Amino acid sequence: MTATEELLQIERVTKVFTVGSFFFKTRINAVENVSFGIKPAEIFTLAGESGCGKSTIAKIILGFEEKTAGEIVFENESIAHWREKRQLFIQKVQAVFQNPFESFNPLCAVDDIFFETVYNFHLVQNEKEAIPFIDERLKAVGLSFSEIHSRYPSELSGGQLQRASIARALLTNPSLLVADEPVSMVDASLRMSIVNLFARLREEMNLSVLYITHDLATAYYVSDRIAVMFRGNIVEMGPVEEVLLNPRHPYTQLLRDSIPEANPHRKWKGSVRVANVEEEEYLQKGCKFAGRCSLAEERCRVDFPQETLVDGVLVRCHRYN
Amino acid sequence: MSFVKKCLVPRLIQYFLVTFLGLTTAFFLPRFLPLDPVEQRIAQYQAFGVYIPPEQLEEIMNTLRQLYGLQGTLWEQYGIFWRRLFMGDFGPSLARYPTPVIQLIVQSIPWTIGLLLLTTLFAWVVAILMGGVAGYFRNRWTEILDGIVMVMRPIPYYIMALLCLIVFAYIFPIFPLSGGVGIGREVSFGFDTIVSIVKHGALPALTLLVVGIAWQFQSMKLIVQGVRSESYVWYARAGGVRERKIIFHYVIRNAMLPMITQLGLQLGTIFSGALVTEMVFAYPGVGWILYDAVMKGDYNLIMGIMCISVVAVTTSILFLDLVYPIFDPRVRYR
Ligand SMILES: Nc1ncnc2c1ncn2[C@@H]1O[C@H](COP(=O)(O)OP(=O)(O)OP(=O)(O)O)[C@@H](O)[C@H]1O
Ligand SMILES: [Mg+2]
Repeated sequence: MTATEELLQIERVTKVFTVGSFFFKTRINAVENVSFGIKPAEIFTLAGESGCGKSTIAKIILGFEEKTAGEIVFENESIAHWREKRQLFIQKVQAVFQNPFESFNPLCAVDDIFFETVYNFHLVQNEKEAIPFIDERLKAVGLSFSEIHSRYPSELSGGQLQRASIARALLTNPSLLVADEPVSMVDASLRMSIVNLFARLREEMNLSVLYITHDLATAYYVSDRIAVMFRGNIVEMGPVEEVLLNPRHPYTQLLRDSIPEANPHRKWKGSVRVANVEEEEYLQKGCKFAGRCSLAEERCRVDFPQETLVDGVLVRCHRYN
Repeated sequence: MSFVKKCLVPRLIQYFLVTFLGLTTAFFLPRFLPLDPVEQRIAQYQAFGVYIPPEQLEEIMNTLRQLYGLQGTLWEQYGIFWRRLFMGDFGPSLARYPTPVIQLIVQSIPWTIGLLLLTTLFAWVVAILMGGVAGYFRNRWTEILDGIVMVMRPIPYYIMALLCLIVFAYIFPIFPLSGGVGIGREVSFGFDTIVSIVKHGALPALTLLVVGIAWQFQSMKLIVQGVRSESYVWYARAGGVRERKIIFHYVIRNAMLPMITQLGLQLGTIFSGALVTEMVFAYPGVGWILYDAVMKGDYNLIMGIMCISVVAVTTSILFLDLVYPIFDPRVRYR
């Protein structure tokens, strides 16, 4: 393994799921030959519609799913090696999930898992040290210890909970935060404050963020680079301005055009032509977007397009070959 | 203070109201039936060939009315019903006249409670442990366990009870075919008595345990499987919470809540006995005397058992309501 400047390197990772009942099993490549890297102190967005394999990538990175093929390198060490020092890996790679109301055990006070974390990773010696330590991280996200102390998840708001879940993830001083749709369940005003928080944490703590979302507006606002996924493949990847202001792949264009302007209640998902059958698209032979693409030609339905570098942006489309 | 005001008082009011309504129903229900127990009784006598001279008929009917507590208007009867109830007096048993109903119940209730309380609690604990493990860990052993339970579940209880009886009492006479220590016998606490109780109770207990464990195992397993894939379990794991803590504090604990409700409701039904078990094994419990009472038209005894069941069910629900907040912070002080 050659040393790279990347903090996390995903190399040709594939994940095959077997779906369907006993007699009608099909194998879908939920993630197919995906490669990307995240640099230290970089915010990297993984975007795409529902069911395109974003969460699967997050789960593979976090070690919740086994990859079928490929390699993941974190801090120049294969993820296979990290499995033997799982606790250290967790300390460096933390995660935030979509639904803040479901991120905390409804039967435990919210501060429980904070104490659990600081003791588990031996960050403090006793409760006397723990409280200021926890309070400091909570302050970083705009909360305080007294706000969550002995409170149950049902007694806090979604915004408070989501910020608390980020604060909890920051306790171990991670170098990478995997945030799987961290803003899709909170309302528009809070969205910005959470995204701003990522930007600030990157400045202050050198934190890298894998920001998984289908909210292109916040992605554009906060991230350095973006990868757009469609049915398990990255169809376009590059600097966020290039990709979103000047999209090359027809799917990225479709995504960008369907961003609703100044109407937080309309989801962009609604205006995209919905996939007739998700599975069907996954199993399609050529370009998986061909069925929905207005520019599709004969070869799009037959040949799988290769990646091409166009002005620093990777595009997977026959029009650029 | 806030516990008493917000939790205890409303629950107690509810408890007394529901109990009152339940007991009132137990009183009115038989009286609204189109059957007149007195006439039924007379018809029964006559069917057995007892000759009742017409001039004595009125007198006999009056005596029977008195026995049934059926004199006077409905409201007078209702008043008497409550007065007697508070003294634990349900009148004499009609089938075993003049033994008081309460004495019959008191005699059989320890048997029922002894059998059902022990098996219910034990089955519950075992099912939770086994179901928890089977739901959390998926491997060959839990699949086998699951398969066994799946095959056993649909077997009707009475068939299994009979099978047990045939195998363990007839083919291999390890246990007696029937009966506890005879009803009405003074129970002395000697070694022999205990051996006898265990011997007689073993088979009914075994069948109840198997059935109780099987169905609760399945529900616990399903609940645990659901909780296991909850987002907060993943978040805890991603946060480095130790697996042991996740199992007990996150999965088992959360999965226990519906199981606690289940247990509470089950405990309430203990007092009406386990009819089929007691029938098959001729076990002298409440279910047995209830069956007997129904067959013999022993109205006082039926009403006595009904009243005790009503109080038992409402009391266990009250108890459940009061202890539940200990386990579930979300319903605290609501
Ligand atoms: N455990 C699994 N078994 C079978 N198929 C799965 C499994 N997990 C995910 N999939 C399938 O893999 C595909 C990608 O799922 P994934 O959860 O990664 O999508 P996503 O991009 O995160 O979508 P969303 O925006 O809805 O969260 C979907 O078609 C999904 O049905
Ligand atoms: Mg997802």
